Amino acid sequence: MTTILEIIIVILLAGIIGLFFLGLSRKIMARIHWRYGPPIAQPVIDIIKLFNQTSMSHGILFNFGIIFSLAGSVVVLLFLPLGRICPLSGSGGLLVILYLMLVAPLGLTLSGGEAANPYASIGISRIFLLAMGYEVPLLLILLSVMTHYNSISIVQIVSIQLQTGWSFQHLPLLLPGIAYILIFPAILGLRPFELIQAPQEISSGPMAEYGGKFLALATIQHAFNVFIGISLFTNLFLGGAENPGYFFLKMLAVFIIFLFVNAVFPRFRIEQAIRYLWKWPTLLAFAGLVIVMITG
Amino acid sequence: MDRNKLGKWLQSPGKMAQKYSLHVLYFCTGCGIIEIPPSITTRWDAERFGVIPVATPRQANLFLITGYVSVKTLRFIIRSYEQMPEPKFTVGFGSCPINGGMYWDSYNTIKHLDKYIPVDGWIAGCMPRPEAVFVAVTHLWTLIDKGMADGYKKYREDYQYYRENQEKILGKLEWPPLFSNIENERK
Repeated sequence: MTTILEIIIVILLAGIIGLFFLGLSRKIMARIHWRYGPPIAQPVIDIIKLFNQTSMSHGILFNFGIIFSLAGSVVVLLFLPLGRICPLSGSGGLLVILYLMLVAPLGLTLSGGEAANPYASIGISRIFLLAMGYEVPLLLILLSVMTHYNSISIVQIVSIQLQTGWSFQHLPLLLPGIAYILIFPAILGLRPFELIQAPQEISSGPMAEYGGKFLALATIQHAFNVFIGISLFTNLFLGGAENPGYFFLKMLAVFIIFLFVNAVFPRFRIEQAIRYLWKWPTLLAFAGLVIVMITG
Repeated sequence: MDRNKLGKWLQSPGKMAQKYSLHVLYFCTGCGIIEIPPSITTRWDAERFGVIPVATPRQANLFLITGYVSVKTLRFIIRSYEQMPEPKFTVGFGSCPINGGMYWDSYNTIKHLDKYIPVDGWIAGCMPRPEAVFVAVTHLWTLIDKGMADGYKKYREDYQYYRENQEKILGKLEWPPLFSNIENERK
């Protein structure tokens, strides 16, 4: 019974925090551009509007894919500890999260591919190329974290950090931490790596044919995705937290720092992005893994 | 968000959300598009009213036609309009879509846009200033409030009239009718 309650609380909190982050990002970007900016609740207003529109389906896979992607994001949420709340803590840990993190982009590709829009197919190829780019360093980083703490359970990693300090204070994990910071915008789809949607270039990519309810579901999925990306980093390297409030403050700090990066950088081309992701973050993560192996 | 609008929000959230989240498809037909970048960037920030540009017609609910409409672009305007999800609103920007403007005797532009797609409002002038876009948005809000921005309903009811006008100028259209004729004859 408590598990079911925890599942509902985690999904609700993640949705609210994710949508708040989306609204905050639009506001902060506007202030950096010397504009006034929309109200913080603008993403919620957009979603209410989108649910009140007619929508056009392009086939069974189009409907299925977007729900599949939303479900994939929701399942990943349940494995991530949010403060002390972690509904599915007993099973899997980091390995399950690694597998399930690919479900959400896969659903988007299924759905976007069914629409048969040329821009959507360019966007789909970019989703997979970018995932291939950041999964290699991410895997190395997670390997070094798991080796250093001798555990694949993310709950255990958080509880060790609560006793001995953040991962950044453990010297062998410094290089993997820096590598994670370097690939972080790619996981979130923030600006140096905003090439999946790229509205000016490929008409918002896989979302090109989404309208009405489909776009609303895609926006909610994006909010969950932002939450997952920041939450994983906070749990692994910033020591998690005892209670959800403190955890939220940590996430907010991380997100605002990456918003500043988002505001000043232009967009990479896809081959520049892959070259960057496989050069510096991968080298750092590999060096970090070797150091962890030697010292651990 | 205004606190005294809370009652309205609870009463009809769909309508209020449509008012405060206008996703605009700018159709860059002519010179009018030059006034849009200042209105969406720093000087006159349109985003504070929830008005943002989107990339494709499927995501949009406000169609802004900026400048003269040549016969060739009319085809794409109609296709884009039919792809937008309902409820959708159209605004003609500048004097050219209203009555031809300075192209009143041109052989290659259409003179009255509202013969081909329904138009909810006009911004007159050559060129209108970016402030005029905001005046139009606030007028559109009152129209939505009163339920008078019903161009998309008119398009559904009088589809035969619009389709005939479109075929008169473009010849045979290569896409099938959006609404079936039987339904229209019954009305």
